[in-house]
Order: sequence, then C-alpha cells, then structure tokens
Amino acid sequence: MQKTSKSGFFARMKANCLETFAGFKQVVTQAKGRVSASMLIMGLGQLLYKQWIKGALYLLAQIGFILYFVFRGAQDFIGFFTLGVRESNAWYGIEGDNSVIMMLMGILSIIAILFYVALYIANVKDAYNIQCAVDAGKKPATFKKELGSLLNRNFYKTALLLPIIGVCVFNILPIVFMIIIAFTNYGGDIVPPALVDWVGFANFGKILSLGQFASTFFRIFAWNVLWAVTATAINYFAGLGLALLLNKKCVKGKVFWRLFPILAYAVPGFITLIAFKYMFSYGGPINQMITGAGGTAIGFLDVDAKWMARGIGLFVNAWLCVPSSMLLATGVLSNLNVDLYEAARIDGANAFRQFTAITLPYVLFATMPVLISQFIANFNNFGIFYFLRGGLYMNGYFLASDTDLLINWLYNMSIDNNYYSIGAAISIIIFIITSIISLTVYVMSPSYKQEETYQ
Amino acid sequence: MRKNIAALVSHVALLLALILTIGIIGSIAAANSGKEGANKFTGELERGAVLRILENDTAIKQGYLGELIDAFNAEYASYGIRAVDANMDQYTNLEEDGPFGYGPDVLYQANDRIMRYPDGRHILPLPAETLSGYDQVSEKAWQAYTKTVGGENYVFGVPVNAQGPLLYYRKDLLPANWQTEWDDDGNGVPDMIEYWTDMYRYSKQVKAESGGKKFGYMRSFLEPYFSVGYLYSYGGYTFGNNNTDVSDIGHSAGNAELGGKIIRQLASVMDERCIDDSVTTGAYAAIASGEFFATITTPDVYTMFIDEMIAAGMTRAEAEENLVTVTIPKLPASGDLEDESAGFIDNKMMGGVQGYAISSYTKYPNAALKFVEFATSFEMIKRRNELLGIVPARGDVAEQVGGLSEIINGNLENGNIVVMPSVKESAQVWTPLQTLFQDLAKDAFRTADIKYDTTEKIKAALVEADKQIYDSIFTLKG
Repeated sequence: MQKTSKSGFFARMKANCLETFAGFKQVVTQAKGRVSASMLIMGLGQLLYKQWIKGALYLLAQIGFILYFVFRGAQDFIGFFTLGVRESNAWYGIEGDNSVIMMLMGILSIIAILFYVALYIANVKDAYNIQCAVDAGKKPATFKKELGSLLNRNFYKTALLLPIIGVCVFNILPIVFMIIIAFTNYGGDIVPPALVDWVGFANFGKILSLGQFASTFFRIFAWNVLWAVTATAINYFAGLGLALLLNKKCVKGKVFWRLFPILAYAVPGFITLIAFKYMFSYGGPINQMITGAGGTAIGFLDVDAKWMARGIGLFVNAWLCVPSSMLLATGVLSNLNVDLYEAARIDGANAFRQFTAITLPYVLFATMPVLISQFIANFNNFGIFYFLRGGLYMNGYFLASDTDLLINWLYNMSIDNNYYSIGAAISIIIFIITSIISLTVYVMSPSYKQEETYQ
Repeated sequence: MRKNIAALVSHVALLLALILTIGIIGSIAAANSGKEGANKFTGELERGAVLRILENDTAIKQGYLGELIDAFNAEYASYGIRAVDANMDQYTNLEEDGPFGYGPDVLYQANDRIMRYPDGRHILPLPAETLSGYDQVSEKAWQAYTKTVGGENYVFGVPVNAQGPLLYYRKDLLPANWQTEWDDDGNGVPDMIEYWTDMYRYSKQVKAESGGKKFGYMRSFLEPYFSVGYLYSYGGYTFGNNNTDVSDIGHSAGNAELGGKIIRQLASVMDERCIDDSVTTGAYAAIASGEFFATITTPDVYTMFIDEMIAAGMTRAEAEENLVTVTIPKLPASGDLEDESAGFIDNKMMGGVQGYAISSYTKYPNAALKFVEFATSFEMIKRRNELLGIVPARGDVAEQVGGLSEIINGNLENGNIVVMPSVKESAQVWTPLQTLFQDLAKDAFRTADIKYDTTEKIKAALVEADKQIYDSIFTLKG
C-alpha cells in the first residue's frame, strides 16, 4: 500500500512535468505572430487581438517591473550576492551597506522576479489561448467576462491571492532569510555595520568537525529524541486516559472534573513554568514542607539534578499539554460508534482488548496528524527547560546544560552568544530531522495508509 | 518556432541586461555615496534641537528625569533646544535601533552596556577633557568608559554613578555582649562586620542556636556580580590587561581557588537557598523579620529594606537606625575562614559605573554634549543623589554627601571595586560562572560525591570554567 502510494505520488509528479513541458513545446511551436509579440513584450499580443484592458494591464505590469528594477530591484538583486561593499561609519556620517537588510531586500527582489516569471508565462499562455480561440472561429472572452470568472469558476484564484501574498511576506521571507543566514558568517564580531559574507557550507562543517561541538550536538540530540517521544506519549495517553475516565457513565459531576485540566490549560504557559520553577526551588513550598517535616532540602532543578530535572520537565509539560489532549480525545471519542463495543462484548472481548482493538486504532487514526504536530512541538519545546533550568552550562557540553534541547542550545548560541549563522545551521538540521521523522511516521500511519477506513 | 524562441530569448536577455547593468552601476554608485563628516563637536549649538533622553526607570519613576529636563530646558530656552523623555525601554539596544533612527540621542546605561557600542561606532567619542566636571571624576571611573578603536584611545561616556556591593546588617540583632565577646581589637566595631572569619563564626552560632531557622549571613551565590569578588580577592580576574584582553581569562589565576573555598565555607553556614536565586527577592523581608542578620547587595535597594522593616512594625526612624550599611568585611589571607593566622586582605567585589553617552546617530551632537555636561554638573548630580540615593562618581559631590558615597568611591579608587569589563565578550562570562558558583555552593550540602574537598579540585573547576568562557568566545569566531 505504502509503496503504491509513494510510486503513485512520483508518477503523478512525472506526468505533471511532462504535461507542462508538452504544453510549453506546443506554445513555442504553434504560436503565431501576435503570440510572439506577447513573448517579446508582455501584453502586446493581447493588444493586437484588441484585448485592450488585459493587454494594457500586462504591459503596465512589465513597465512596473522594469521601473521597480531600475530604481530598486536590480540593486537589491546584485546586493544579495555581494552583501555590501562598504562599511558604514556613523562617526563620519558614512552610510555604508547593511548586509542583513541587503539580504532581506535581495530575497524580496528574487520573489519579485519569480512573480514576474509567473506573470510572463500567464501572459504567453493567455495570448496563445486567444490565438486558439480565434483559429477555432470563436470570439475570445471579453475582459469583463474573464473578470467575472474570478468570482465564479476561478474564484479560488481570487480567494487565494491575498493569503498567498501574506504567506510570501510573513512566512516564506523569514524562513528563507533564516535558511540563508546558515550560509553566511553573520554573528560574533560580524554584525552590522561589519559586512557579512557568504561562507557556503562552512557552518555545517563546523558543527560536524569541531570536536566539542559535534559531541554536544549528538548528546543533546539523543536526549531531544527521548524527550520528544516520551513527552508526546505521556501527554497523549494521559489525555486519552482522562478522556476515557471522564466518559464513563459511573463518573459523577463530569463537567466539574473536566474544569480542572481546562483551568490548568487556560493559564499562560510561561506563568505556569515560572510558578513550577519557584515550587521546586530551594526556597519554594515543596522544600519548605520537606524541611519543615525534618527532612533535607532537595535540589530538584540544581546542577546535580540531571534526571530529576528531566523528570520534572516531563511532569510540567504534561501539566500544560494533557488538557488539550484530553479535549481532543473527548471530541474524537464522541464520534465513535458504541455498537462496536456492544459487538466486542458479545464476542467476549474484555475492556483492555476493546481498548486496543477499537478505541486506540480509531483515536490514533483520527488524531495522527495532531500527534505528529505534538511531537514536533515537543521536539522544539523551548520554554520548559528555559524557564525551569535556564542559565547553566555543564561540563562536557558546549554552551548547553544536560537538560537543554536542541532548540535551547540554538537559543544559547544565537541569542546569548551571538552566533546567528551557527544557530541558523542548527535550526535547518532540526527542521530536516523533524521533517523526516514526521513524514515517515505519517506515511506509515493508518491515517495515511487506510485513509478511507472510517469514511 | 525560431521566431518564438528568439522572442523569448530577447525578452529574457533584455531584462537580464537591464538588471545586471543597473544593479552593478547602482551598487558602485551606492558604494561611492555617503558623506565624510568631520569632528561632530564643533561647539556650535544646533538651534531648535529636540533631544531624546534615555534614562533608567527609577530616575523616571522618582521624578528625577522630569526635574533634569525642566532645568535643562529652562537653561537653554533661548537656543530653542529642548530635551524630552525618549520614552524607550531602559535597556534599549542602540546597535539595533540607532542605525534606523529610532534610538535616543543621549543614553544613560551601565558601562558594560554602553561599551558594547563603540566597536560598531554607535556612540560618539567624547571630548571628555573639555567637560567642566572632568577633574572631579576618578581615573578608574573614566577608565570604564575608555576604549581603543582603530588604534586610538577614546572616552565614550561620562560617569555619573558608581555602583558596588555593600554589607547590610541589623544593628539591633547584634549579640548583647558583642562589645566584650565580638570586638577583639576593641575598635568599637563588631568583628563580624569587619572580618569574614568572625561573620562565619557568628553565622555558624546563629544557625546552630536557632536550629537552622535563623542565619547570620545569607546571600545567593548564583549571581556572579556578587560572587566573583571572592576569586578576585585571591588573584583571579575576568579578562587580562585591566579587563580588556579577552583572550586572557583568569578566574583561576593566582590563588583564586581560595576564593572558591571561601564560597564553599560560607555556603555551609547558610542553607540550600544560597544555591539558587529563591532567596534573592525574599532577602528584604528576611532581614526585616530578623531571619537574616546580614546580607550583601547594592546601595540602590536600601529603601526596599527600610520599607520591609516598616511593614514589619518598626517606625522609619527605628528602621533607619537599625539597618546599617558598611563596606564588605576583610577576608583571611589564608583563604580559610577558620584560620586567621596569616592576617587579612581586602575583599574585592565587582562593581559598575553608570553614565551618559551620545548616540552617533543624533542630529544634534553639540546640544547633546551640552545636555550631558548639564546633567553631570555638581548641582544635578547632588540632586540625583538626594532623590535616587545613587553614589556620585563626582568626587566633590561624594565628599559633600559623605557616608556610602565616600565608601564606594574609596573602594573604586583603591581597586576593591573591580569595574565590570567594558567589552561585549563579558556577556559570555556570566553563565559559566553562574554554573560554577552554584556547583561550589551546592558542594557544601553534598553528603556523598563531594566534588570540591581540596583546593586542587576547586582550581580544576575554575580552570574548566575559564576554558568554557574561552571556548564560547573563540570556538566559533572567524
């Protein structure tokens, strides 16, 4: 099944590529003079076909693009590769280059070029479609009609236009920016006004080649994987357990009992974390009770508390996340067909068997994408150990403690120590790891393999 | 088909030629643009200037900034120069905001913060010697704002406030027989506030007599600002060459391990709260309630103790009578709080100097310099001291107000206050030291797996911390 799905996916991709190429070939071989005019100057073909408004709009788009490039874009585009040639010196009023801004503006100019290419292709295709319509003896669609289709047949284009622009500016641009920082020497002493340079894969090389760096990376990575798997499992099964418990008919005052986890969920996470840090500190209420009862104070989160601190991290994380898992499971369970249980009982299945054969597969099927997102969130769970046990660098670790996750290490390096480019390189590695794990788990999950089981 | 391909290629070639030609020409033109300015301090005041002044929150809250601005605006009204509250976070990073025109014109911050800016030329070198109060400020304070940039030595800030730790103690909690039992040298000063050995002995006694409910001296070791001084006292330092050579890290230098031993011994007469920071904010109330006899902190929190003591039932007069602030006790030269035989040495502590600097991005450098000169005048510094209780860096004001100001300025002068390094690499020092001090303090409470029972082991830990700092600064550089 899995193999079929994968090969189907690649086959579809191949077919799409071939189709696109065939379409391109068709346009190039069969286009006549007026379409060629549109190939040379955007909108010219449309104008020659007397599609005045559309032609003018394409032409204006080309003029606008040229003007943008004359006044700004070309410089930004070149600047993206040079990252500046002159350092600024505020003492003498020298306004030099800011490599970071140049990087950002360079990305924007590349997005503008891609947008222009897309527009150019649309322009040629449109001219070719008009040619085909004319050759077939039909009257080309008027501008008004085509505009009308944007509210009807092509409404999806209208609806998606703003979100796509938003995603480009607010998602793609920062992500691309972060990715390309990994290929520069930005950080340390190299911060504006100093000029940043491209360094290729040198930062990745450092991560893998520097002894203490590589060993810290693998130690943290091993703990990070263990943390993510354990935390996700605890949160998920504790949430499911609570939901099942509160679904029992024999439980009185379900609303009341459900309220408590929701209250814990409603309090902002970082406030909860600060409160827990205080509770487990030497001066906190837990140690006060211990010493009050004649015991010795326990360093729950101190320098020696490696595994205890990790355990407390799991507990606090469960406190924060179990309520959402419980709510999710409660919702999913409400859709489960109770007749299945009746049938299972008749067949002699006990409660555990019913759970493993009916409840768990169903809930896993319905919540696998959420489970994966929880895994990723836990893998990148910055707050837990930052708030509970921040400010420690342990022996044997480079700029990290034995409870830090990769995301905390990334923070220590990029924010506390200004190694932005190395931080960016680590974040790319984290992205690759989480993507591989998530995609593998998802492709192997019933939610993907047996998509139609419960539909 | 050829015609179509030619059209496609022509379109692409035309655009590419346009992009590359204009881009390259534009880049060259931009590279050659920019104004070469000369010395910005011409002495000619910029009429109509509006200066954005960044001050600390306490100065704003206590109304000092308002008074300062009003006084300056009245003085320079004839020039049309006005100062206004920059209305920005007190820790605003000029490096990030300045180049884009959002930063203040004049900023008041600690030396370790201000001195991050010269490398990027974000603040202007000042003609310090031309300022009227130049001679009144000690050389040590000026040093905190001096840096070599491009081979030249410059002054980048004007010191206002010297900061250093003091010992706070409750006079009314002294043992009734202190004059006979705790004043061996008969100088009328209790030994426990003069010598750490006696403070250690007294703290041990208080803890034992109260069954661990009360403490003599108590202070968290977590903050390097308050703990690193023990290492300094025995030959340690943060950066070599007066805290300027970041490649020479020396917390393990000299006999600094004896400072580590002192930390471990002091921790043993406190409780585990000295390991983390849970005792820090509670110290005011604990001193007020009598749970702690003494602690160390900076002078600016004096009113917090008084407020807590009043809340605990004392009158203001009683509180001010009972709370005494003195200079830090002396340490035993032996590095052992149970051995006075080798005599005593001064306890060095980390300190800081807060002051004014001028942004390189200001449009009004001359007016800004006038403001700095005005704000650091005798009258304004004296007023600042009255309203905010700061320790004036100006010697003439310190001499007039006396008390703490004289003590701290004296400590700064004689090197017992070591000014925080004025280099940006100092940011990479705190976390390794914080971890080290926690570990040393924790060791006093370990029953098994004791890590630092010999000075050699403490030395090894200090060497490791230095290595960690070195690595964090240099491993990824370049």
